[in-house]
Formats: sequence, structure tokens, C-alpha cells
Amino acid sequence: MNARILPAVLALAAVLLPLPAGALDLPKGEVILTVTATRLDHPNVDGTAQFDLAMLETLAGRVGEMETPWTEGKVKFSGPLLRSVLDAAGAHGTSLKVVALNDYEADVPMEDATTLDTMLATRIDGKPMSVRDKGPLFLVYPFDQNADLFNEKYFSRSVWQIKSIKVAE
Amino acid sequence: MISSAHKSGNIIRRASKATVVLQAFAVLLLVGLIFLFVDISRKYSALQDGIRENALWSVYQLDREARRLHETLHIMLAENDLSTKQVKALVTRYDILYSRMTIIEKSSFERKFRLDATVAEQVAAIRDIVFGREKTFDRIVASGVVDPSELRATDDDFEELVHNTEKLLIYSNNTVSTERAEARNAVMSLQTKSAALIILLVVCVVFLILTLRRQLKSVRLAGLSLESLSNALEQAYHDVEAGNRAKSQFMATMGHEIRTPLNAILGTAELLELSHLPPSVATGVQTIRRSGEALLEIINEILDFAKIEHGNLDVEIRPVDLRAVVSATVVIIRDRATEHGNRIALEMPVAFEAPFISSDPTRLRQVLLNLLSNAIKFTKNGLVTLRVSEMRAQDQAVLRFEIIDTGIGIDGDGLCKLFRPFSQVDASISRKYGGTGLGLTICKQIVEVLGGRIGVDSVKGRGSTFWFEIPAVPAERLSDDADVDERDEDQVLPRLHILLVEDNRVNQQVAAGLLAHIGQTVTIASDGLEAFDTARTMHFDLILMDMQMPRQDGIEATKRIRNSDGPCKTVPIIAMTANASEDDRLLCEKAGMTGFQSKPVNMKQLRRIVRSIGCVDDGDHNEAADNAPLGTTFESRRAEVVEALGEDAFAELLTSFFDDASTLLRELHGALAANDSRSPDRLLHTLKGAASSVGLQDVADHSEALRQQSLTDNGLRELQDIVTQYKQRLAA
Repeated sequence: MNARILPAVLALAAVLLPLPAGALDLPKGEVILTVTATRLDHPNVDGTAQFDLAMLETLAGRVGEMETPWTEGKVKFSGPLLRSVLDAAGAHGTSLKVVALNDYEADVPMEDATTLDTMLATRIDGKPMSVRDKGPLFLVYPFDQNADLFNEKYFSRSVWQIKSIKVAE
Repeated sequence: MISSAHKSGNIIRRASKATVVLQAFAVLLLVGLIFLFVDISRKYSALQDGIRENALWSVYQLDREARRLHETLHIMLAENDLSTKQVKALVTRYDILYSRMTIIEKSSFERKFRLDATVAEQVAAIRDIVFGREKTFDRIVASGVVDPSELRATDDDFEELVHNTEKLLIYSNNTVSTERAEARNAVMSLQTKSAALIILLVVCVVFLILTLRRQLKSVRLAGLSLESLSNALEQAYHDVEAGNRAKSQFMATMGHEIRTPLNAILGTAELLELSHLPPSVATGVQTIRRSGEALLEIINEILDFAKIEHGNLDVEIRPVDLRAVVSATVVIIRDRATEHGNRIALEMPVAFEAPFISSDPTRLRQVLLNLLSNAIKFTKNGLVTLRVSEMRAQDQAVLRFEIIDTGIGIDGDGLCKLFRPFSQVDASISRKYGGTGLGLTICKQIVEVLGGRIGVDSVKGRGSTFWFEIPAVPAERLSDDADVDERDEDQVLPRLHILLVEDNRVNQQVAAGLLAHIGQTVTIASDGLEAFDTARTMHFDLILMDMQMPRQDGIEATKRIRNSDGPCKTVPIIAMTANASEDDRLLCEKAGMTGFQSKPVNMKQLRRIVRSIGCVDDGDHNEAADNAPLGTTFESRRAEVVEALGEDAFAELLTSFFDDASTLLRELHGALAANDSRSPDRLLHTLKGAASSVGLQDVADHSEALRQQSLTDNGLRELQDIVTQYKQRLAA
């Protein structure tokens, strides 16, 4: 086969061959989150699930107005729920490793995603978050829904400047 | 007894003192507990407040990011590697540091950390460097061009930054450590306070338990002593009760003892009076009988009072014929009134709204007699009026009796003493007039038991009005008014064969004599055994049975007669006893006795008994009816006239009365036919007067009764029948 046409065939194949059921779209903008797992149902790039901001903001999410130890006064966070991101990636497991830009890692139990409305906030007061402002993603626990969450245990899990999530079996 | 009560009182007082101390202690403890709670809750809220971002951790992160940025920049400069990737990494590092700086600026940390001046100063220095380089990095991002000289200057700045962040980290660590130590100390002090309070609490509880034990013990002791006290009191009460009972028993016995010989005296006197005696002796005998009766009355009064004192004044409510009771009472008292030169007037409605009421006729008569005899006793040559009226008080029909005299009267002081036991208006009264001073007390009790009230109005020297009111509850007319009819002496009695069982020889003679006098055949038995033997072989119409007898008493004898198959198994047996108590009555009933008669018995009572038995028997009732009553008034009148003028004169008197009567009756008939309403009154008055003068009280009463109403044919015919009957009987 002509070596020159191989990429074109591959590209065609990529278009024509059915991707795994419910596979994610390819990210169009800058990738801000990578979900990795030993087995993902809907990977899109190299066996991982990569998301840009637009992809994340189409997922089911929530808006919560609350106080946190790191902000002044009440602020409004919005973004996809952690469980809808994991569902979109088709990730299954018992715990998550949330990794920040500075390589800070926090262990988050899967229950925090399934039983709590924990979100991956993309916006603060409607504006996208820059790295300087704890962006691009911030794991926000529903402090507005449940006051019992307002303690150090959950503060340490509230990772900001998230770049990836590793799902452990 | 009193000292033990005092002791238990002391014990209880001591126990309550301990309780007061304990209460104060408990209050103190409570205050302490409140303080402790407040302290704990304050600490807790401080803890709640302390839920904040960890300052040390943030400072460490800041220091770390500053170092990594410095390191990245240093390597770039050293290797002179200004590739886009490296630059982008550098910018990211700066952004992260920037965000860390913001965290330090904006996050809420521990209070101590936030307010520390050194911290603020050092943070400011760090912030100046970090934010001071913001423009440099903004420019790099915007243009993509990197100026190495500027980077070098930045690197020098960051050298200092790293130095500052390290200083802040060390200082923060020291601050936090100090704070931790302080917090630990605070917890320690809280623990110490808690421990002290807990120890106090334990002490208090121990004290509480001890005091409670002591208190329980003292209360138990007090309880025991009170119990023994109450036992002693009960014993004392029983002793007093026993004494009182003994007194009552003594009074009953004395009453019996006095009444038995009195019975003999009265009976003998009555018998003597029946025989023909010379007038001088007759007067003496009459005096004996009167005095005896007076004595009996006094004894009865005392016994009545004893009963009242024990709260068992027995009252027997049954239909009462008012007119009969009132008239009979007046008849009884009239003689005594005459002796004192008093006139008696009876004011009574012509017709009562309720001619029969539910009450106790015997007690009612007793009260009336008592008040009337008092009135007579304290009045000389005056008028005693008995006024009976029906009235309504508080929606209740009330019968008011007023006994109005024109006697000596009573002053205010005296009025206060009335109705009180053993009291007479003053001592001179008892000397002059006699009496037990119990009469009014008894009257008051009786009236109150009957549901009424009693009172008196009096002016000294002018006379008194004693009054009493009893409820007038209408009753059905009684069919058997044997008891009410006071004039039963007038009726001829049936002849009965009577077994008299009586151990006392004098009483035997008296009772037998009285019975013989009223035409009865008497057989005597001296005790229960003899009575039983006699009753087994012979038939009697009536047995009069004494209660207390030697060998066998009346109860036992009655039981045996009732249980035997002798001819007297069903014969009426009347008990005779001086102990007329309710218990005795019950005993008699149980033994199977027909009736009950308290001793001493007199002629009237015997007549009544014989008559009632005769009525039950009904055998010779007609014979009795043939011999219609003539009345005592007639007998006494005849005796008077005969004594004064002789038998012939009285017969003549009678003949002329009947002549006059027929003339008057004829005229009355005429007046009635002529519709003349005025003359009948005059005619009836004349007839009444004539009848009274020959002692035909019945005729006089009827004439008077006809005067009170408009004359009718029937009424007149009735009067005529009565006159005719008397005429026939007296002629025969």
C-alpha cells in the first residue's frame, strides 16, 4: 500500500468505523481534563478521556452559591457534576486520584461522586477560572446543601487547578 | 405521749434542716455545672470557628511554589533554554504561585495567624515581589517574546522571594506550634476544672446519699413514734369510749331499775282508783299516781337525752293525722292546764291542705306536750294558745306550731340559755318550777331530726311564744290509725284469753288486775319455762311476755313456742320490757314476736294491745260494735253530776237534753228548708252547749263542726243519727 495514502485510509477508517458505543467526541479546544483508568468505556484519545471546556459544560451540572475557606463572601460556582464527567468517560472504580497542576494529588472516594452532588466547577460567579484564580477546574463539594461537609476532611479533598483524574479499580 | 410526739417533731425538724443545707449545696453545684457548660460550649464554638484552611499548609505551598518557580527560571537561564514549552511551563508556575499568593491573601486562617503583625509584614513583602512581576509574565504571555535580561532580574527578585517565604514558613510554624501549645493548655485547664467539678459532684452525691439515708432513718423513726402515739391515742379514746358506754349502760340499767318498781306503784294506784275508795283516800291515790307519772316522765326524759347524746334518737316516719294528734295532745294537757287555772285555746285551720303528713306522731306529740306543759307550768290564770298553721318557706310546705302563753316570759339572757342541756333560765326556776332542764334540748333534737327548726320569742313578764316548724310532706291517709285514735278507751274490747308471763310478783298482780278490769281472762306464768309448758297444753289468744326472767328469758321462750307444735304456735306474742332499745326490738322480731311494748304498761296500752289483737282475730268484732263508745267525758261528767245531784237527777238531765235536742234538730231542719242561713248557727250553739253540759262531747263536737261550715242536709242528718244513737243506748 502506498505509504502516502495510509494516513488518509486511517482517517477515513476513523470516520467510517464505528467507535465504541457512546464514545466521547474528540476535544476541539484546549484539553483541560484527562481522565485515566485501567478500563474506560468511552475513551477518545489514546485510551484516555480528554475534555475541553465546551465538552465539560454540555454535561449535567449544577450551580451552587456558597462560602468556602478560600474565597471571600458567598460565591457562585457552576460546572458539571463529578459523576456526570465520570459517566461520560465511562469510568468505573472505587476511588479517584485528583491531580492538580502543581502535582498535588488528593484521594477522593467514589461515593463522594455518586452520593454527593460534587461538581467540577468551571466557572466562578459565571466567569471561567484562570490558573491564577484556582482554575481551570475546581472540585467543589456541595457545602451549600450539607453543612456537615464543612470541615478539614473535605477541604483537603477540594482540589483546585485540576488537570487530571485517575480512577482506581 | 406528748414527749414522744415532741421527739418525732424534733427529728423531722432536724431532717428538714439537713435538707435545706443539701438544697443550697445542690444549687451551688448547679451553678458550677452551668459555668462549666458555658465554658465547654464556648470552646466548642471556638472549635467550630476554627474550621478553616490550614495556614501552615498554605504557607508551605506558597514556599514550595516559589521555590519551584525559582528553580524553573534558574534552570532556564543556566541552560539558556527559552523554548516555547519552557516559557509556557514557567508562566504556569508563575500562575500557580500567583494563585497561592491569592489564597494567603484571601483565605480565612486561624485567628492568631491572621492578626499577627509579623505575618502581615512578611506576607506584604512576599506579595510585593509576586504581584510586582505580574506585568512581566503578562507581557510574555501577550507577546510570546522573552527578554533574557528581564528574566535575570526576575530571577534575582525570586531569590529574595524564596528567602522571604522560607522566613514566613519558619515563623508560621513557630506561631502555629505556640498556638497548639496554648490550645493544649486551655484544654488541660478545662479538664482540670471539669475534674474539680466532678469531684465536687461526687462529694455532693455522697453527701446526698448520706443525708438521704439519715433522713429516711429519721422519718422512719418519726413514723414509728407517731404510730405509737396514735396507738396510745386510740387506746385513750377506747378507754374514754368504754367509760362513756359504761355510763350509758348504767343509765339504762338505772332506768330499768327505777321503772320496774314505778310500774308497780303506778299500776297499783290505777287499780286502787278503779275500786270504790273514800274521797280522801282517792285523792291520795290520785296524788301517788300523778307523782309517779311525773317521775316516769322525768326518767324518760333523761333516758331520751342519753339516747340523743349517743346520736341515736330513733324516729319512725309514717303518715300522721295532724288533726288527731293535735287534738289528742290538747285533750291530754287540758286537765293540767285547768289545775293551773289556765285556759287552753286551739287555733287550727278548718281543713289542712295536707291533713296527713309524713312524720313521727309519737315524737311530734312529745314535742307538743313538752312545750305545752312548759307553757302551762310558767303561766298562772292565763291563756295558752296552740296555733297550727300551714305555710310555705323556700318552696317547701311547712307546718308551723306556735305555743303562745301569757306567763312569766324570759329575758334576753335567759333566751340564750334555752335549748342547752341541763340549763334553765336561772337557778330559782328549778327551785320554784322543777324539771330536768332537758325538755327543750330534747325538743330541739327531735325537731331537727324531723328536718325542722325551733325557736322562741319572749318578753319578760308578758309571755312567751315557742314555735317550731317541720316540713309538711303530704302522706297517704293511714288505714290502721289505731295509734292515732286516742279515744280507743271508748270502745268495748273483745274478750281474750291472755297468757301473762312475768316474774315480778307485783307486776304480775298489777298487769293481771288491769287486764281483768278491761274484761280479759288471764293466766299467769312466772318464767319462760312455765310459759312454754302452759302454752303447750292450752290455747291463748295473746301472750304478753316479759323479756328478763330467771331460768328462761322471753326471747328463748318465744323461740321455743314458735318452734313447737303446740296450740300457741301462731298466737301473737307481745314483748314487754323496760329496756326499750332498738337492739331489743330487733331481737324480739328475730325471735318471732309479734309486737313490742315498753314497760311500765298502763291501762290504755293494754286496751290498745287487746283491741289490735281482737281486730286481727275479728271474732267478736260485731259484739263490740253493738256496744258503741260513750266517751270518757260522758263518764266523768256523769260521775260529777251523780256525785253532786244523784243518779236520778242525771237521768232527768239526760231526758231533758234529748227533748231539747229533738226540738233544736227540728228547728234546724226547718231553717235548712227555709234557706235561713242565720238561725242554724245559733241553734247549733245551743245544742253544743246542752250536749257539753251532759258530757256528750261527740254531739257537742259535731255541732261545733257544723257551725264552721254551711249547713247541709247530710251533715244535719248525721248529727241527728248520733243523737238518736245516744238516746237509744242511754235509754237502754
